[in-house]
Formats: sequence, structure tokens, C-alpha cells
Amino acid sequence: MTSAGVPTADLHLKPRAGLRHWPRAAPHPASLLQAPLPSTAMFVAGTALLAGGAIPVRNGELVLAGLATAYLATLVGRLSGAPSLAGKGTALVPPAHLVAVALLSAGTGSPTVLLLLLGPVLSLCAAPGRGGVLLAALGTVAVLVLPGLLTSGAATTDVLPGSLLLGPLVAAVGGLAVNEATRALRSQAAEIDLLRQDRATLVDQVRTRADELDRATRMLAARAQTMTSVIDAVTEQSIIGTDQDGVIRVWNPGAEKMLGLPRAEVVRTRSIVEFHLPEELESGGGDLVALVHAAEEHGSDVRDWTYVAADGQQRTVSVAVTPRTDDRGVHAGWNFVGTDMTEARATERMKDQFVSLISHELRTPLTSILGYLELVLEDEEQPLTDEQRRYLATVERNANRLLRLVGDLLFTAQVDAGRFSLEPRDVDLAGVLRSAEETARVTAAAAGVQVVVDVPEDGPVVPGDAVRLGQACDNLVSNAVKFTPSGGRVTLSLRAAWVTADGEVSTDQRPGSVPVARLSVSDTGMGIPAGEQGKLFTRFFRSSTAQRNAVPGVGLGLAITKAIAIAHGGTLDLVSAEGEGATFTMTLPRAAG
Amino acid sequence: MDETVSVLVPVPATAPARVRVLVADDEDDIRELVCLAVAKAGCIVSTSVADGSVALASARADLPDLAVLDVSMPGAGGLEVCTALRTDAATAGIRILLLSAGASLEDVARGLAAGADAYLAKPFGVASLVHQVRALTGGQPA
Repeated sequence: MTSAGVPTADLHLKPRAGLRHWPRAAPHPASLLQAPLPSTAMFVAGTALLAGGAIPVRNGELVLAGLATAYLATLVGRLSGAPSLAGKGTALVPPAHLVAVALLSAGTGSPTVLLLLLGPVLSLCAAPGRGGVLLAALGTVAVLVLPGLLTSGAATTDVLPGSLLLGPLVAAVGGLAVNEATRALRSQAAEIDLLRQDRATLVDQVRTRADELDRATRMLAARAQTMTSVIDAVTEQSIIGTDQDGVIRVWNPGAEKMLGLPRAEVVRTRSIVEFHLPEELESGGGDLVALVHAAEEHGSDVRDWTYVAADGQQRTVSVAVTPRTDDRGVHAGWNFVGTDMTEARATERMKDQFVSLISHELRTPLTSILGYLELVLEDEEQPLTDEQRRYLATVERNANRLLRLVGDLLFTAQVDAGRFSLEPRDVDLAGVLRSAEETARVTAAAAGVQVVVDVPEDGPVVPGDAVRLGQACDNLVSNAVKFTPSGGRVTLSLRAAWVTADGEVSTDQRPGSVPVARLSVSDTGMGIPAGEQGKLFTRFFRSSTAQRNAVPGVGLGLAITKAIAIAHGGTLDLVSAEGEGATFTMTLPRAAG
Repeated sequence: MDETVSVLVPVPATAPARVRVLVADDEDDIRELVCLAVAKAGCIVSTSVADGSVALASARADLPDLAVLDVSMPGAGGLEVCTALRTDAATAGIRILLLSAGASLEDVARGLAAGADAYLAKPFGVASLVHQVRALTGGQPA
């Protein structure tokens, strides 16, 4: 858990005992039988008996040859088969040992020596396949017969004909039993090997999964740490997370600063509603419902609320409310991100009051100026000279200009403050456009600009405020006249149309389209540079062409016109290229028909 | 363009003579302008004051036919004077024209709610004021 109260995963893994080290496989019993070592040991024992005189020696040369053959075969087998106990070299050792036994038997004539047959016979019979058994039987025959042949019929060993028959038979039957037993053992060993391999594979898989889990856990921990550090870094905004009942679970340093309580005193013990003004909650439906019902309905909600800090101080806070879900996507509570707007709202109120004050203070002297001008200009008892009348007409014109500016400033302030209200009724847009032409007619004629009105006799009717729509049209037409040089043309047009959901305009009705009126004012004037068109509807923005050509204005007209269009649920768009004129199109919803 | 909002009453063909009018506005220039308009309408300015409290006292004492009141005045504002005149049976019959720099619909609604017969937003034309004075005093005895 961190200072913001964001829960984190348990990062510690238990040690994976037993996964790293496994016992080595023991040598297989069948391979022990095949090994030349037991046979060699028996030869060593035989050598000892010969040396001790327990076995008499009749022919020393044959005995030496037998022992030499036995030890040499063992040595060659060891050297060629090392380190494997069943290498190719060792396959020649048992036959060589059979030869050695035959030589010893011939050299001693003792039946005891025949016991040495057991070693090589077992080695041959333990080898895979039946060939070893046959070789062992034939080898036994050879051992029994060879001494007689080597000693040229001398009775060195009394080998009975029965022995020649029984010896190989015993070797063959015993060898078969040994061979079968070793085959079974070999099969078991193979299965054990497979099991061991399977186990090794499983161990590898477990180890891989454990590593992956380890990495995933570390990544989650890193993400949680990143998120926590970000939340902790927010000191000027309150970030408060609650469960579904409004009980606080997350409380960042911004919340501590704004509401004056440390996290430890809030998390799991206090509800978000305790920090709200009760009257505001009651008017919104009471308690948590008042705070979250809009976010529940629309997915999010941003509005001003009054937070009450621990010391009782009230703050105006813009709070963004969003639902919070758990790792399964199930609704788990609410997030409240608050920005202290106390100072900003106070500034806005001050600005509002200032604009109202200025408006009042300017309107009052304008009343005197225009009123007394009217008295002077219309005084029939003391008529003015033409020159005096012209001078005073200039004064009156400029006073009216100042009055318009005051009106625009006041209107802009009303839009900003959200106090811009409309008096909606059915408005004949064709009439509004013709009136705008009439208003601009004198000015246009003086400037040498032709104004063309292209509106249908039975023009579209829109629900709206006639005064405000008239103001918007006047702005567009007077702008077009101002920006068009002598000899140019301004065209006012009006059409009924339809707009589809994706914004496409057509003259025929399509499924899902809504009826609109499109009012356009086109001019052949200086146009607006492409780079400035995005800022054209911003308050007090004046295009470079306006400044270069000293076109009068303060940059409020288009901002006001756009605000009026938007307030009517419409749009105001511009198409222009520098030097090629401009077309402003206002699209307003109209009643179908 | 004059986007101010006013509430006016129909103008009769002629206005009776010697109708007495109380004018109250703290701006000397505008008070004088109103007095000139009242005279052009054929009426008599019975009282011309710059303070709302004085205007109220004068109206109670003088019972003029018409009171032209500025909304923003020291002492008592036009709305306050208007309400006081309407709630007093002796002065409830005085016609009232409010003048104000407040030009919004809300401003006009507040003026009418206070009991004014008409509301004229500044800046107003002299001709408009003359018409209003005549309209409001047309039915009054001489």
C-alpha cells in the first residue's frame, strides 16, 4: 500500500524448492551383467588360485597365454569402451575371455577353471538379442573342445561326451533366462527413461510458467507503482476514489491539501458525501445519488460542487465523476477528480460585474449624446446648416457604432456566463435575409458592392429568436460588404436541405437525415488565409487581410454569430481562399415539411 | 442596431394638457433630456429630482399623473420606488415609466414585476420617450 492508498499485488514469490536439482539415474542392472568387470574379477581370483597352487598347472605356456588373453581383452575393452560400460570395444571382451578360459582349461586340466565360463557367458547372454545366447553356447562348446585339440589328444582334462552336450545346453538355457531377464530389465529401464524425460519436460514447463508469472507480477507491480506515483504527484487536484457506497478508498495529496485531512484519517472511514454541502446534495436527490446519478446515466459528469474542508471552509470545485470498475470489469465504485475553481469563479463573477458596470456606464452617456443630437437635428425652430448637419450626422454615426460595440461586449459576456437566452418562435429566414440586405444596401452602394439576394419566395421557417438571427445575418452581410472591394459582389442565398448523421448535406431526404435551412453569404472579396481560418471565430481575432486593408471592426461579430448559430442548435462554417472571396454558411434545424 | 428591449404601450392620437410628471434620474444631463421630452409631449414637469427617496416622498406628497424613474439612483432605486408606490393605495394609481441601462429580458421582467407600466432601455430616442409619455398619460385628466 502506498501513500495514495492504491492497493498493490503481493510481489514476493515463494522459493521454488526441488525444481532445480534432480537425482542422477543409477546404472542399469543389465548393463552391469554385460560389463567385462565381473568376468575380469573372476580371472583375478583364478590367477590367485593358480599362483597359490590350488589349481595345478600342467602347461605353463597355455596358462600364461590364457591369463594374458583375459587381461589384454579387458584392457583393450576398457580403453576402447571408456567411458561407456557398453561400448563397441567391450563387445569383443566376452569372446576373448572364452578363449582365455579355453587356454586356462587346456593349461591346467582342472574343471574348476571351467567356472570362469560364467563371466563371459553371462556377458554374452545379457546383450540385446538372441545372438549372444547362441554365441555363449557355441563358446562353451569351444571351451570344452579346445583344450583337447590344443593338447593333441592328451588327457589334460577329462571332458566327457555328456559334458559336451550338457555344457552348451546349460549355457543356452541359462543364457536364455538371463537374456529374457535383462530384456525385461532393459524395457523397464527404457520406460523409466521416458518417465524421467517427461518429468524433465514438466519441470521445464513449470519453471517457464514460474518465470512468466514472475515477470507478469513484476510488470503489474511496476504499473501499480507508476499509477500511484502519478496520483501522488497530483497536488493541485483532488483525486478521490470510493466504493459503491461512497466510502473513500483512494485519497491523494491533492485531496489532502484541498480538504485538510490526511489519508489515514479518511480512507475506509469517511464517505465522500461528508465533504459536500448538504443543501446541494438534497437539491440533487440526496446523498451519493445526487453526486453520481448523471455519471451513472451518461458515463461521466462534470459540474461545480461545493466542497467543505475539515476547517469548515467552502471551496467551489469542478468535479469530474466517472464510474470505477474492478479487474473483471464489474462496477466497483466512483472516481471524483476535483479542480478548485473558487478563485476562477470569483474572477468570472468579477468580470461579469465589470462588463455590466461598463455597459451601464457607457450606455448612460450614450443616452445623453444620442438624445441631445436628436433634439438638435430635429429642431425645426432652429434649422441647421448643411455643414452642421453633416458634422452632427458623423457624431451620431459614431455614437451608434459605440453603442453597437457596447451591445456586442455585453452579449459576449452573457454567452460566457451562460446567461444567453433565446425567445424562440417560428422565424421566416427569407424575411430575415431580405432585411439584412436592406440594412446593408446603403453601405454597399456607397462602397460600389452589388448585393444579390437569392432566396425562395416561400423560404424555410426555423424555430428561433428573430432578433438574434437578424443580428447574425446582419453581421455576416455587413462583414461581406466590408471585405469586398468596389466592383465586387455579395450573394445571399437560402435553401432547404437535409443533413445526414455523418454531416453530409443533400437536397433530398434520406433515411436518418434531419431537415435544415442553409443560409449562405458569399463575397468576391479578399478572402481569409487558410492558416487563420481556424481562429476566425475567436473573440477579438482579426485576420491579416482585415488589418492590411484597414477594415474596421474589433473581431466580435463572427464570434457572436457563431454563438447564435450554436444556441439555435446549428453550425457556422467557412469556405475561403485568400484573394478569392469567402462563403459563410449557417445551417439551422428546421421543421420538416 | 439597437438591441435594447423595451416594453411600450400604444400611443393615443393626442395627449391631454397639464398632465403632471415627476422625473427622477441621478444623471443631470439625462434628467434634463427627460424633462425636455416631457415638455415636448405637452406635459408639465411637476418635480425633477436626482434621488429615489426624495422622488418617493415627492410622489406621496404631490401625487403626479406619471413618474419617470431611473432604475439606478442613490437613496432608493427606481424598482424600490415603484414597488413602494404600488403598495400604497394613495399612490397606486400613478403611472410609472422606468428608464434603465439594463437592456436584457431579465431587466425588463424585473421592472414589470415591480409594477411599472412601461420600461424603456437606455439609450432611448427622444421621440420614443415622447411617445411613451403621451401613451401613459393619454387617459389622465388635465
